[in-house]
Amino acid sequence: MLNDEELKKVKDIVQSFLKAKKILRMYPENNPVYINTLEDNFGKFKDFFYYKEELRLQIRQNEVLYDSEQVYYSPEKDDNLALFFFKDGLREITFKKGLSYEEMEDFLKIISLDFSRDVLEDDVVTLFWEKDFQNIEYVVDEIMLADDEDYDSQNLAALEEQETGQDDLSRAYQDAFKEGADVGDISIVPLTDKDLQLLLKELEKDSLNKAGKLTDILFEMVYLCETREDLEDLVGFFGDSLAFAIGRGDISDASALLLRVTEMLQDRKLTDEAKKYLQKVVPHAGSEAVVTLLGEVLDSGPEIEEKVIEEFVGLLDKNAIVPFMKVLGELKSMNARKTVIEALIHLGSRDIVTLAKGLNDSRWYVVRNIIYILRKIGDKRAVDYLLRTVRHGDIRVKKEVIRALGELGGAGVLQTLRECLDDPDGPVRSVALRALGNVRSEAAKRILLNKILDKNFNDRDFDEKKEYFEVLSRWKDDEIYGFLTGALKKKTFFRRAKNYENRACAAYCLGLMGNPDALPLLQKFRNDGNKMLKEFVYTAIKRIEYGQ
Amino acid sequence: MDSREEVELFRTAKDLINQLSVVLRTSHIHNPNNIAVTTVIDKLVPMINHLVGSERMIVLELRGEFFYINDFRIRYSLEYLLNFDFLVREFRKRELGSLVFKGKITPEDIKKFAKAFVASTFSEKAFETIEDMTSEINNVSVERLKKIVEDDSLEPRKMIKKTYFNAVSFTRGVINKIKSGEKVNIKKAKRVVETMVDQILEQEQLLLGMTAIKDYDEYTYYHSVNVSILSIALAQRLGMNRKLLTELGMVALFHDIGKMDIPYDILNKPTNFTPEEWDIIKKHPVRGVRTLLKLKKLDALTIRSAIVAFEHHLNFDHTGYPRVRKNVELDFFTRIVSLADQYDAMTSSRVYSRIPMSPDKALSIMMERAGSQLDPLLFKFFINMVGVFPIGTMVMLNTRELGLVYESNQLFPDRPRVMIITDNKGNRTESRVIDLAEKNVEDRYLRSIIKTMDPNKYKINLAEYLL
Repeated sequence: MLNDEELKKVKDIVQSFLKAKKILRMYPENNPVYINTLEDNFGKFKDFFYYKEELRLQIRQNEVLYDSEQVYYSPEKDDNLALFFFKDGLREITFKKGLSYEEMEDFLKIISLDFSRDVLEDDVVTLFWEKDFQNIEYVVDEIMLADDEDYDSQNLAALEEQETGQDDLSRAYQDAFKEGADVGDISIVPLTDKDLQLLLKELEKDSLNKAGKLTDILFEMVYLCETREDLEDLVGFFGDSLAFAIGRGDISDASALLLRVTEMLQDRKLTDEAKKYLQKVVPHAGSEAVVTLLGEVLDSGPEIEEKVIEEFVGLLDKNAIVPFMKVLGELKSMNARKTVIEALIHLGSRDIVTLAKGLNDSRWYVVRNIIYILRKIGDKRAVDYLLRTVRHGDIRVKKEVIRALGELGGAGVLQTLRECLDDPDGPVRSVALRALGNVRSEAAKRILLNKILDKNFNDRDFDEKKEYFEVLSRWKDDEIYGFLTGALKKKTFFRRAKNYENRACAAYCLGLMGNPDALPLLQKFRNDGNKMLKEFVYTAIKRIEYGQ
Repeated sequence: MDSREEVELFRTAKDLINQLSVVLRTSHIHNPNNIAVTTVIDKLVPMINHLVGSERMIVLELRGEFFYINDFRIRYSLEYLLNFDFLVREFRKRELGSLVFKGKITPEDIKKFAKAFVASTFSEKAFETIEDMTSEINNVSVERLKKIVEDDSLEPRKMIKKTYFNAVSFTRGVINKIKSGEKVNIKKAKRVVETMVDQILEQEQLLLGMTAIKDYDEYTYYHSVNVSILSIALAQRLGMNRKLLTELGMVALFHDIGKMDIPYDILNKPTNFTPEEWDIIKKHPVRGVRTLLKLKKLDALTIRSAIVAFEHHLNFDHTGYPRVRKNVELDFFTRIVSLADQYDAMTSSRVYSRIPMSPDKALSIMMERAGSQLDPLLFKFFINMVGVFPIGTMVMLNTRELGLVYESNQLFPDRPRVMIITDNKGNRTESRVIDLAEKNVEDRYLRSIIKTMDPNKYKINLAEYLL
């Protein structure tokens, strides 16, 4: 007879399922809470099996029974353990004494899955079945599988009632003695080792990916299409195949499909109507759905070879730009972002206008990336869009856009860069300075010289001034050489310390220019009394002498 | 015991059965003291002792077609198939049911057992001989094969019927749902097929028997289920695991889904098809692909189903339909399903040819097609599965009794179990099942088949006898 202690133990086990259902969903497998929960559950089973051979639970819609005693009850629709099992047809679950830790863990993992999600295509019974538990048995009511509950009895009755007539039997009996073929000429050829070897080879071959084969079939079907509806369907199937390949990280398969589509579009035997539909496949490959999937794969999956992605992107249409930009803002991994940026550099060159729309994105990092992409594309048409972004509230964006303007160059950027030299933020001024250096035009040089000659220049920090001279060294012409030698020699009565800073910067710049003509002048100041000037002159001489 | 140990034990158990078979085979050829025998015995002994070490006692038992060790069914992989089959056959011949190792054993013990086993080959009372000779061996004993009581099969038969009709009902429901644009529950489909897989693994003959009854009104649904059952049964013999069997069963269940769009009047036309009607019929593989790909999100199962739906009439030599531009090797599942499809279609009464064939006639036609339309290697396995006289074949015996093949015999394919339907004068008799492998005291078979006949021609209601 069932005693209270036994009943309590069973109730505890059932309650521990509920707890495990929550914990296993929340924590990763290596988390101590996860591990403790499993150990706690297993301990409860061990404790129960110390006295008992098996734990048999009967499942009702809202209750679980053990030996006719209720051990669980819930009238709720959600979070109802009994209903959770019941709805898939489970009517009884038996845990046997030999239950291993792994079996229990597998069982708990299955019941912890979120079955409301569409991605789960198996129910709890199928998952139990696939595990092929040795120590967990279950009874299932299969009637729910039939479309019509009485189908079997109706059919059986109909079939069995048609009794074979004696006349028919007699006719068969008599015919059996008539002339005619006797026992058929079929012989069973015993299976040999060679057969098994061949079969093993076939089975090995069979494990190959089947998606490519489906693609082959879809291409065959293009030629078998009869209606527009067929073609429309087919375009959808190609799209699904692409998404499937991308989702599995088989980017090469996706590229192969697109390549075949482009080849097929050249096939003279294919009707214009079919071609018209087939042309839709490439834009589909660049659709938001497919690109988002690619983003997910890049973000979470193993690293994919650069050239594989390059090949795929190379086959896409410019419609992929917007989805790629969207994905760019959602990626978490640095590598994935890098890959998408490379893709956009490739695709964006075909449509700067669309790409530039990304500059309006609300996320500063996306804007910064788009500026970087525009910069890398190097199309001067981007300047107009970039100039509008210079006033961006985020300093990181501002710096990137100034950098881009410097690289793209042109007269249009100078005014903005000059203004940026007076930006209240030092880093912005620094980037603007270097950007002007990158422009490398006479006008840019003039802006820099004017800035240095400005009466306020002396007040700038030494590092900033040094940077100005450093940038100036990129123009290795006579004008700059003359300007620098003049600056090195310049003496003042007032604000001498500031003047020494300027002279040190001039010496530094002469060193960077590497012109040996400057050596005699530099030697003159090699032992100057001002320590800073002396040091910078010394470094410049060494740099010129050793060509560093 | 943790699961790793369990897996290890299973592997040892599998190796043990295989090695025992090798020992007994070798002992049939050589003297037990020959080095060829002693070498294989030396390999077997540690396997047994290893298992005895962890399990204390080992009972190797033959139940039906399978071996069990301490109540665990030992599934064999393909490479062991021939050795397992040999052992099943030899155990059966001797009515040997169990071999028990009660403790650690020595090579000498196995040598004695092998001697007993060989000696019993020529003994009239094989089991008694082996039992007597084994009684002298420490720690080894044998038990007689348990007879399967006829009544025991009643309950499984009931379950099989339920499974079968559930599957048909489900298939009908699926097709109706697709037709009306409703969502199809794939989870349910998997459950239906899983049940069939389980029953094929346990009661293959019973479920195969269900496919032999062709007198149903709704051919399409029954055909789909039959092809699924026949495919699973064949694949089981090819050593596929349960998961693959389910995948194949699902794929086979939906192989003809493209026929759903073919007008009922054409599908059920009582006369031969016109060329135009044939054109419509020939479109069903492509339609099948379309239907399947629209059914649910693309995944491995949908891909496989679509491939098989497209290829199942292409033929092994690509002479079938639809016509393709590039011939690629047919999918392995396609080759299995094509065999099952042809066999079931030929033996059914509602197919294009309008002339249903007896199972043995269908097999002989398929034999001609092996290598051209059908995969010859798989056909070899198929014919080994259904036997020379497949279930449902009407046979005249040398006793002048008329019967229906009720169950095939895996060991003696030409000696199935037969249900007697008339006495030796042609009168209807109370049906009873007899085993054609049964012999009299003079070691002669009691009954043999002398002629096969077509039950459809004589309106024999197979359901009346086989269900």
